Amino acid sequence: MNVHSVSSTFLLIAFAVYILAFFLFVVSITGKRWSNRKPEEHTRNWSRVAFGTAVVGFICQVAYFFTRWYTGGHIPTANMYEFMTFLGMMIMCAFLIVYLIYRAPVLGVFALPIGFIIIAYASVFPNEVQPLIPALQSYWLKIHVTTAASGEAFFAVGFAGGLMYLMRTVDFSNNSKAGKRERRGVEFTLFIILMLIAFIGSIFTFHATGYQAVFAKTVTTTDAQGAAQTTEQSETYVLPPIVQPHGTSVVAMKPFLGIDKPLFEAPSWMEGASAGRKLNTVLWSLLIGLVLYVVLRLIARKPLGAVIGPVVQGMDPEDLDEISYRAIAIGYPVFTLGALIFAMIWAQEAWGRFWGWDPKEVWALITWLFYAVFLHLRLSRGWQGKRSAWLSVIGFLVVMFTLVGVNLVIAGLHSYAGV
Amino acid sequence: MRYDGTARRSQKANPSLLDKVWNFFSSVKIAVYIIAITLLASALGTVYPQENTFLDMDPSTFYKTTYGTLGELYYVLGLSHTFSSWWFITLLFMIGTSLVICSLDRVLPLYRALSKQQLRKHPQFLIRQRVTYTGDLLAGAGTGAGQVEAATGTSVSLSKTEAFAAGESPAPGAAASTAAEWLTGAAAFLRKKHYRVHTEDTALLAEKYRFSRWGPYINHIGLIIFLLGVLMRSIPGWHMDQYIGFPEGAIKQIPDTSYYLQNEKFTVELYSNQELSDEFRQKGQVVPKTYETRAVLYHCTADCDDPTKQPVLEKVHEADIFVNKPLDYKGLKAYQFDFKQAPLLISVQPTLKNKTTGESYGSFELPMTNPQDQYTVGPYMLKLKGYFPEFGLDDKGQPSSLSNEPKAPAFIFNISGPGLAEGGEPYLYFPRQIDKETFRQDEINGAIGQKLELSVGSMEGVKFSTYTSYLNIRVDKAMPYIWVGAAISMIGLIMGFYWQHRRIWLRIDAGRLTLGAHTNKNWFGLRNETAAMLAKTGIEVAPKSLEQGGKMA
Repeated sequence: MNVHSVSSTFLLIAFAVYILAFFLFVVSITGKRWSNRKPEEHTRNWSRVAFGTAVVGFICQVAYFFTRWYTGGHIPTANMYEFMTFLGMMIMCAFLIVYLIYRAPVLGVFALPIGFIIIAYASVFPNEVQPLIPALQSYWLKIHVTTAASGEAFFAVGFAGGLMYLMRTVDFSNNSKAGKRERRGVEFTLFIILMLIAFIGSIFTFHATGYQAVFAKTVTTTDAQGAAQTTEQSETYVLPPIVQPHGTSVVAMKPFLGIDKPLFEAPSWMEGASAGRKLNTVLWSLLIGLVLYVVLRLIARKPLGAVIGPVVQGMDPEDLDEISYRAIAIGYPVFTLGALIFAMIWAQEAWGRFWGWDPKEVWALITWLFYAVFLHLRLSRGWQGKRSAWLSVIGFLVVMFTLVGVNLVIAGLHSYAGV
Repeated sequence: MRYDGTARRSQKANPSLLDKVWNFFSSVKIAVYIIAITLLASALGTVYPQENTFLDMDPSTFYKTTYGTLGELYYVLGLSHTFSSWWFITLLFMIGTSLVICSLDRVLPLYRALSKQQLRKHPQFLIRQRVTYTGDLLAGAGTGAGQVEAATGTSVSLSKTEAFAAGESPAPGAAASTAAEWLTGAAAFLRKKHYRVHTEDTALLAEKYRFSRWGPYINHIGLIIFLLGVLMRSIPGWHMDQYIGFPEGAIKQIPDTSYYLQNEKFTVELYSNQELSDEFRQKGQVVPKTYETRAVLYHCTADCDDPTKQPVLEKVHEADIFVNKPLDYKGLKAYQFDFKQAPLLISVQPTLKNKTTGESYGSFELPMTNPQDQYTVGPYMLKLKGYFPEFGLDDKGQPSSLSNEPKAPAFIFNISGPGLAEGGEPYLYFPRQIDKETFRQDEINGAIGQKLELSVGSMEGVKFSTYTSYLNIRVDKAMPYIWVGAAISMIGLIMGFYWQHRRIWLRIDAGRLTLGAHTNKNWFGLRNETAAMLAKTGIEVAPKSLEQGGKMA
């Protein structure tokens, strides 16, 4: 057993321990009404064990991190897999800090899943240690990426707080227009989370079965000298093709559920790089997410928000509001430092300009501006409670788009971190 | 509450036009709108790559052919150059203006409000605070914990008014001394918690971390300096940004400066197959491990602008340029940007021969950059009439150069000497054999081509570079302002977010304590501190019950 596999094992253990900690937190709250116990004592004891478990998970992940650093020879924050696992680790760290301030066991029920879903998401990407390209060979790789991720981790805890606030305050029996809108909003947020789980699940399943479909098309381009050149472009799908790239023909495709050719072709305006494959992945996530949602709704026979709601009923809404806000207030300066200032210093050193309107830079700025709006509305315009909670939920979606969406959809100078 | 009633300029009655502009920019609501619009505009700007991400591209056709109809729309709307458009820059200007005016409008009233604080607040003010408490003091409380008997029972769970009603009013004389004693105890506790405590009779004001109130303004000042720094880059000479390819060996002038840079040697090291991950190996990707340009910087001391003379160069600096490690000489920076493996001629050493007799008249060194105007070889005089680094024919069939890189160099000499016409005869010379054949040198030269021949005998004397190193040459004199702005902004953020201004007011009227406390963030901490203070002085109360809840007035 070499150090590399030890490292991966640590991550696997951490992942399992986090899930265990999550269930312990759930029991600490839902088990209050079990017979033969005092509710406060039950919550206190169980949440103490749950917190300890989460700490153990965190220590395992730290062990993963440093052993991988040792084997890889550079800090493991250099590609998408490494960055996402690091973000998961920082979310756990931010959770532990905020938990120590407020001692609210419910936070574990919401923040821990965000952490381990992110770690699960990381494993969709190739997990090999890759050699560093010259642009990444700088000590700023350590400083910039780690501080930026720490700031974002606090935003994730702020998101958990905001979601908790909404679960606590949205009245699922209110049938007025506003009440329905809120309810739909909560259901939609949960649906997005389910979609992410569906995405991870489907990639895993089809990877395991070794599914593959290949498409190709010939592209004619005119070069600078005016000569026409034709090149063969091929595209490999891991998921069964619902939709094939525009203007391509099937090279190889395993039949899936008896279907042996794609159902549709992508519209002609979708011409960007791998647009067809990305559309196919989005369709699969939507489809499986929808199936998951419908199945869960059928089992519960009520909105999912109403199922989770009772967990937070014991909490004071204002405390939840403050937890969410406080996490964001802690994260904002860290994010500014890591994702903007350190990023600018590094960009100045590596590329000679501190700012170049690269999509990743722009989206970091958008995230920063979004939370600036959040803080101004809250501090000067009195946006607290529900409105603040919605903003913290949307804010984290912006963060996730900056981290994931930009790499997958837009790309640019930071595309080396992509799949 | 925020400015304790101090008037702000933007709250003037009968505003003039200037006041109206001031009022517009001093509004946080407007600021939020401007930020939100900037945010949306930035997001739109990332939908397709911006024009400046491509070299040599015609945007009017590029977006349509690459991204289809949506791409064309993107170009027509001007979104393909969002970040340099007038409206985006206007938005940034508006943010800057808003930062200045919002800060000025608020910072002075805030300063006045905080430097002259009223100690004894009206009871109504106190019970309107989010953290508040009213209750009777019992004789003996205040000297410490322990004498809490009845007080504990009433205060913990009951609402404040009930606690107040249930308590018995002690005798007036005893009340005065109890109050003084209690205040001393409370003040001592608060001082221990780093509060600055001011007392007046039976009223007390405790305050800490006031400096955190300046955090937002310091942050805004930093941002203003930052934005000014960005603006200063448009001052002539403050900002330069050029991408130049330096073939190995050649000394090239950096345009618009008196500096010359030579790429002495370029080296690139690739990752070996063992070092690569499987993914890269499968794709057959070549991944550079490191690349560097050994560069020498020269300064021109004389004959710099005289095209007839060779400039006099003096070596001033030497550096190995890596990615992440630029050359830096007095603010002139050269960054390793890219490299290309493209063999280019640097110089050749052709020999002039008599084609019929085979007699050699001698040879000379012919560089591909800045060749001399004339060369003398034996009895012959070669005057340079034209030089085309990349030879080609234009629309009218006239010889022209497609670029400034010596990709297909061609020289037109006027040769005069024995056996040639008076005034000389033109001779076209292609140093590269392949060009000589492609462009049919011998046929073009005609008669003179039968008599004389310029050619390179062997590879000896031929200098060429394997790599062209692309450097990004920059001057950015505004950078110090930008970094200082960013640092100040960061200090402001830390001050404002990691400390909170906390104030606790209390007054005792006839043995009845009225307390109000305020903070701008972290009510949780303030609540706990207030409850701890009350507990220390004999009033046990759950921190949570201090909170009235609801929004602040």
